[in-house]
Amino acid sequence: MEENEFFGEKTFQHYCAEFIKHSQKIGDGWEWRASKDCSDGYMCKTHFQVKNGTAVSHQGTSDHVQTFLPVEEALDPPLDDLEVNETTTAAEVIKYEYHVLYSCSYQVPVLYFRASFLDGRPLALKDIWEGVHECYKMRLLQGPWDTITQQEHPILGQPFFVLHPCKTSEFMTPVLKNSQKINRNVNYITSWLSMVGPAVGLNLPLSYATAASQDEGNVDGQDSSIERKSLEEH
Amino acid sequence: MHYPIGLLFDLLASSSALPWNITVHFKSFPEKDLLHCPSKDVIEAHFMSCVKEADALKHKSQVINEMQKKDHKQLWMGLQNDRFDQFWAINRKLMEYPAEENGFRYIPFRIYQTTTERPFIQKLFRPVSTDGQLHTLGDLLKEVCPSAVAPEDGEKKNQVMIHGIEPMLETPLQWLSEHLSYPDNFLHISIIPQPTD
Repeated sequence: MEENEFFGEKTFQHYCAEFIKHSQKIGDGWEWRASKDCSDGYMCKTHFQVKNGTAVSHQGTSDHVQTFLPVEEALDPPLDDLEVNETTTAAEVIKYEYHVLYSCSYQVPVLYFRASFLDGRPLALKDIWEGVHECYKMRLLQGPWDTITQQEHPILGQPFFVLHPCKTSEFMTPVLKNSQKINRNVNYITSWLSMVGPAVGLNLPLSYATAASQDEGNVDGQDSSIERKSLEEH
Repeated sequence: MHYPIGLLFDLLASSSALPWNITVHFKSFPEKDLLHCPSKDVIEAHFMSCVKEADALKHKSQVINEMQKKDHKQLWMGLQNDRFDQFWAINRKLMEYPAEENGFRYIPFRIYQTTTERPFIQKLFRPVSTDGQLHTLGDLLKEVCPSAVAPEDGEKKNQVMIHGIEPMLETPLQWLSEHLSYPDNFLHISIIPQPTD
């Protein structure tokens, strides 16, 4: 199979690996899942949210608009550190799953997502809409993400909502061109996910952006300078 | 499901006599397992999404994007109302390719097997090799689904079925794509165990 010079599957997997490295550092919950036959895989993250839109927030994390913490994590620290919605009941907690897969047809990443109550009942698209911030609702209706449709997950076979990928290449090209111009490294997955994610309730902490510009250029440099340093010490 | 009915028959019931007896359920829709199609609009959106994806593979989306909205509508209406001429007037443009090429950029196909967890196999595959030879159905299977094809001297374990027939493995893939694609422009290929009778 030929790889598009622009964004082939191997490139996709590389950027996902870098993305997940940073996610692990900050405990953001993304992980890689390989398909049963191991020929490919996807990135995924699960988070929980209280239904009426109030996020369970943690004091001190001020660098992004909305934080969604796993409910069990939020309950662990002492209560006076948190603002907790007191009317939460189990039925109002929603489990969101986000999967990032590679589309060989469009040669771009694609965001699949679904939501369900804790008892397994899936949410309809209109219910998911209610969890999206107003400013994104307007933008989403105008594109460039085109539409959200329900599709079969190409690896799991279950119904997921999908942000249609046919415009991805169109809005990513200026981002990549610009980063080349200013000679700055960009993680395609980080840039792309930070643009499409918020429209469906998925937010990325800002630290991903700084990590991206450090990772690509300096990985080798760091390794060799660390090597040199330890040689000098001995 | 949202799969073409002919595909479902080949995959699940090809040994059944026609007409195919099915059981229709009116309660307990399995929302977690199946796509729900609450209206004709949803089916139209799904169909058009498949056609667009096929064109992304065949023509980098150039042909479908050059069409107007009314052409897309005509494609769907032709299918919905069983008006072949109406459908083909638009679809034939999706089956063309530049004179200097020998075929589409990549072939839109999906291979289905009931024995795998993955719903289908779909990969990038060119219809023509670098030295200009037309790839065949057999070439495709060897590359993306080698377990489906029996070894040279081995016994035939599977049937490779499209639209209820087993095309010869020597058939050029480009020809199959132009002539045996489903209305969504995909070749939906079923691999089923060889019947033992």
